[in-house]
Amino acid sequence: MKILVCIKQVPDMESRFKPAASGVWYDESDLAWRMNEYDEYAVEQAVQLREQLGEGCELTVLSIGPDRVGEAIKKALAMGCDRGVHVQDDAAATKDPWQIAAIIAAYAKDQGYDLIFTGMQSQDRGSAQVGVTVAEDLGYACATTLVGFAYDNGTVTAKRELEGGIKGVVKLTTPALVTCQLGLNVPRYPTLPNIMKAKKKEIQSIPVSELLKEEPLAATVSFHPPAKKGGGIVLEGEVGALVDQLMGILKEKTTVLR
Amino acid sequence: MIKDESTLNVMIETVQKFVKERLIPFEEQCSENDEIPHEIIDEMRELGLFGLSIPEEYDGLGLTLEEEISVVLELCQASPIFRSVIGTNVGIGALGIVIDGTEEQKKKYLPKLAAGEIIGSFALTEPDAGSDAASLRTSAVKDGDHYVLNGTKRFITNAPEASVFTVFARTNPEIKGAGGISAFLVEKGTPGLSLGKNEKKMGQWGGHVCDVILDNCRVPASAIIGEKEGVGFKTAMRVLDKSRTHIAAVCVGAATRILDEALKYAVERKQFNKPIAEFQLIQAMLADSKSEIYAARSMVLETARKYDLKKNISTESSCSKLFASEMVCRVADRAVQILGGSGYIRDYAVERFYRDVRLFRLYEGTSQIQQLIIARNMIKEVS
Amino acid sequence: MKALLIGEYREGKLLESSYELFGFAQQLGAETALLLVGSDSQLPAFGGTLYLADANQCGEYNPDLHKQLVLDAVQKENPDYVVFLHSSYGWDLAPRVAAKLKVAQVSEAIGLTDGGFEVGCCNAKMRRTVKPTTAKAVITIQAGAFPGLQPGGTPQVQKITASVESNVSFSGYEPAEAKDVDLTRAEVIVTAGRGVGKKENVPVIAALAKALGGELGASRPVVDAGWVEHSHQVGTTGQTVSPKLYIACGVSGAIQHLAGMKKSDFIVAINKDKDAPIGEVADVLVVADVLQFVPALTAKM
Repeated sequence: MKILVCIKQVPDMESRFKPAASGVWYDESDLAWRMNEYDEYAVEQAVQLREQLGEGCELTVLSIGPDRVGEAIKKALAMGCDRGVHVQDDAAATKDPWQIAAIIAAYAKDQGYDLIFTGMQSQDRGSAQVGVTVAEDLGYACATTLVGFAYDNGTVTAKRELEGGIKGVVKLTTPALVTCQLGLNVPRYPTLPNIMKAKKKEIQSIPVSELLKEEPLAATVSFHPPAKKGGGIVLEGEVGALVDQLMGILKEKTTVLR
Repeated sequence: MIKDESTLNVMIETVQKFVKERLIPFEEQCSENDEIPHEIIDEMRELGLFGLSIPEEYDGLGLTLEEEISVVLELCQASPIFRSVIGTNVGIGALGIVIDGTEEQKKKYLPKLAAGEIIGSFALTEPDAGSDAASLRTSAVKDGDHYVLNGTKRFITNAPEASVFTVFARTNPEIKGAGGISAFLVEKGTPGLSLGKNEKKMGQWGGHVCDVILDNCRVPASAIIGEKEGVGFKTAMRVLDKSRTHIAAVCVGAATRILDEALKYAVERKQFNKPIAEFQLIQAMLADSKSEIYAARSMVLETARKYDLKKNISTESSCSKLFASEMVCRVADRAVQILGGSGYIRDYAVERFYRDVRLFRLYEGTSQIQQLIIARNMIKEVS
Repeated sequence: MKALLIGEYREGKLLESSYELFGFAQQLGAETALLLVGSDSQLPAFGGTLYLADANQCGEYNPDLHKQLVLDAVQKENPDYVVFLHSSYGWDLAPRVAAKLKVAQVSEAIGLTDGGFEVGCCNAKMRRTVKPTTAKAVITIQAGAFPGLQPGGTPQVQKITASVESNVSFSGYEPAEAKDVDLTRAEVIVTAGRGVGKKENVPVIAALAKALGGELGASRPVVDAGWVEHSHQVGTTGQTVSPKLYIACGVSGAIQHLAGMKKSDFIVAINKDKDAPIGEVADVLVVADVLQFVPALTAKM
C-alpha cells in the first residue's frame, strides 16, 4: 500500500504580517516557519495508518517550495513518514491553488497511491481547494474536513464535520484523498532522536518545471490588512482602572448589569 | 559546529513548541507546588531531552556543543527548573563518564542516562569545600577490591531524584590538593549512602537540592571513573569547562524570556497617556538588556564552536559563565524595575525569574572563582 | 451578468443562510438563478429560474452526484458566476465544479472590491483581493459576510436529475454530542479562548460567566485541547449565538469563531494582542492579560 501526505510550510501565525514589495503577498523576511497546523493532523493520521498497516506500506511526504520547506519535510519524516519529496519552487507562494494542485497531481499520477492525505486548508492562504482539486485531477474519491478516520481493506470510513456539531459519515473506496480538520487526532511531537534518525531518510528533489504545465486561473492583486471598523473602543492601562471603565460601559450600554 | 542546520532547526522548532505548549503553562504551578508533575518529566523523556550531549553510540543525540546550546537557549525560555531536570544528565552528572569512563561504565550508564531512565547527579561540593573544591575531605579508603567512602556532599542538584552519583573523594590523603582526588560512580541504594533534607531555596522551586551523606559506604574498585585513581579532580574540571558554557547558555535563554516579558509589559502598560515603552528611561533599560543578551549569546556560541574544534576553552567558558550569569541578574533586575510594583508581585513571571536566576552566579563556580580562573589563565600565558 | 446560486436545503426548507447568496448577487449586480436539491411542495419565494433536483433521489450529499447536477445547470444557464456558501457543503463541492469547468475559484469571499473579491488570509489577520482570470468563476461566500435578501416571487422550475457512479457513499449522520448547555438561549456568554493558557485556568472564565448569570463558551482550539466540552463551542462548527453580552477572553477571533458570535448585541474582547482579529467585531477591546483582568472583573460583580 502506498500513501502520500501533502504538507505546506507556513509562517507562525502569531507573526506580524506586512505586505511584500510586490503588494500581493506577505513579506517573507523575519518570519519563523512552521508546518501548516491542519497538515500536522494529516501527517499524524497518515503515520497512524502506516503503523496500523506495518510492513509493505510506504508513506511519502510531499511539499512544494524553496529550500526552507525541507525542514517541514524533515519534521514529517521524524513523525514517521518513510520518504520525502521536495518539489523545488522558489515562487510557490505566487501560484494559485489550481497550479499547486496540478503540481501534486502531476507527481502523483504515475505513483499509484492508494490514499492521499492533505490538510483541510492552509493557515496562510486558506483556500481549502488544493486537496479536492488534486482528487479531481486524479479521479480519486474524496472527502473533506475529516474529524474521524478509519481504514479497512480498501475502504475508508470518514467522519466529516458538518455545521452545528453534526458529523456526516461517508465511505470511500480507494484510491481516495481525504482532507483533515483540526481535532482529528493528537499530532505527536517529533522526538529529538527521531529527528536525528530522519536525517538518514531519503528526500527526493524535483524541480517544479518538470511537473507544472498549467497556467494560473486566478490572480491575487492585493495583500493588505483589514480595514479598521470604527466604533469599537480600545481600553488599555492598569487592570484596576480597566475593570472600572468596563463596568461603566457595561452599565451604560447593556442591560445585563443591574 | 552545526553538523546539519535543517535538522537542528527542526529540533529547535520542536523544543519551542514544547516549551510554549507544555512547559510555560505549568511553570507557575510547578513553582508553587515545589514539584514538576511526573507527566511533564515523562514527556521530556519521550522527547529525548535527556540525551542531548551523550554520544550517539550510547543512544544519545550526540549533539555538538553548539547544537546542544542552540536547543538549551530555547528550552530555557521556560522556567530554569525544567532545564535543571535534564541538566545533570546532559551536563555534570554524565560528562565524567563520557570523558573518562571505561567502556564498561559507558555501556552500563550512558544509554539509561540518555533515555532519562536514570538521573545522574554530581557530588563535588562539601560543607567546607565550596569554591576551594580541591580541599575536599570526603575520603575513600581502599579495602581489598573495594573502597570505603566517608563524608558529606552539600547542595547536590537533583540528588533526591538521582540513581547514580558522581562522588569526588580523596583516595590519597598524602596528596593534599587535586592530585589525591578520584571520582566514583555510586548508585542509589548502596548501603551507607543517604540523603539530607531538601533545602529550602530562594528560587528555582520545583528543582531539588540536598546533602548526600556517605557513611562507610562500600563501593567496588570498578566504580572509579576510568578505574584510575587520582584523575578525579581533573575530570571534574574538564566537566566544568563544558558545563559552564552550558550554564551560560541557560542564562542567555532565561534572560531572553525575561526581557520578552518586560518588553510586552512596557508596550502594554500606559502611564501619562502613553505606553511606558515610549519613555526614554525605559528604553535605555530595554536596550541595555538587549545588547547584553546579544553579547552573552555571541560569547556562548563562540565558546561552543571552539570546544567543538577540540580547543581548550577554560578561559572562554569562564568568561561566558561570568558574563552571562551577571548579565541575567541585571536583566532580571531591570525587568522588575520596568514592571514597577507588579514586578514584585507573584502574579508576574518576572518576580519568579528574578529569584530563580540569582543562583547562576553561585553554582558551578561563583563569579569570583570564574574571575580567578580567567586571571590565572591570563598570567600563566605570559609567565 | 448572471449568477447561478447553489442553495442549501434541509428538512424541507431553504436554509436561512442561503438568502445571503442573493445578497451577494445583488452586490455583484447579477441576475440570479437558483439550484436546489429540494422538493416541489416547498418552493422558495424566488422569481427566477429554479433548477430543482428531487431530494428523494439526490438528497443526501454525494459529491459526484451533486457535482453533476451543478454542471448540468451551468450548461443550461451559462452563468458568469457559480456561487456557494462557504460551508461543509460549499467548500467540498465548489472546487470539484471549478476543476471540472477549469475556471477560477475564489474561496470564502467577504466583500467585493474593484473588479475583485476580498478574502481573509493568515488566520483572518490579513486580506487578499483575488481576481479570476477566467471568464467564469466559482465563488464561495463566508457565512454572515453578506446580508440575507429574500427575493420574493414564484420560481420557474426546471427539473434536473443525474445519476453517476461514485466511489463515495453516504452512511448516515452522527448527531452532535448531547448538550449540557444551550448557548443559543443564553443572555450572557463568556468564552474561553486559547489565550487562557491551560485547562486549569478555565474555571477563572467560568466564574465570570457565573457571576454574570451567563454560560461558559469556548473557542475551537480550547475544545480540541479537551479543556472544555464541545457543547460549549461557539462558531461555525459549534453553536451560532447572539446573546445580549458576549465576552471573549483570550479568543484571537478566527473567522469560524467570528461567524458564530458576531451578531451578539454587545461584544467585549479581552486580549493581550491589540491586533487580534476579535478586535474587529468587538464593541470594546480590553488590552490586558486575561488571567489578571478576568478575576478582577469577577470580583466587582
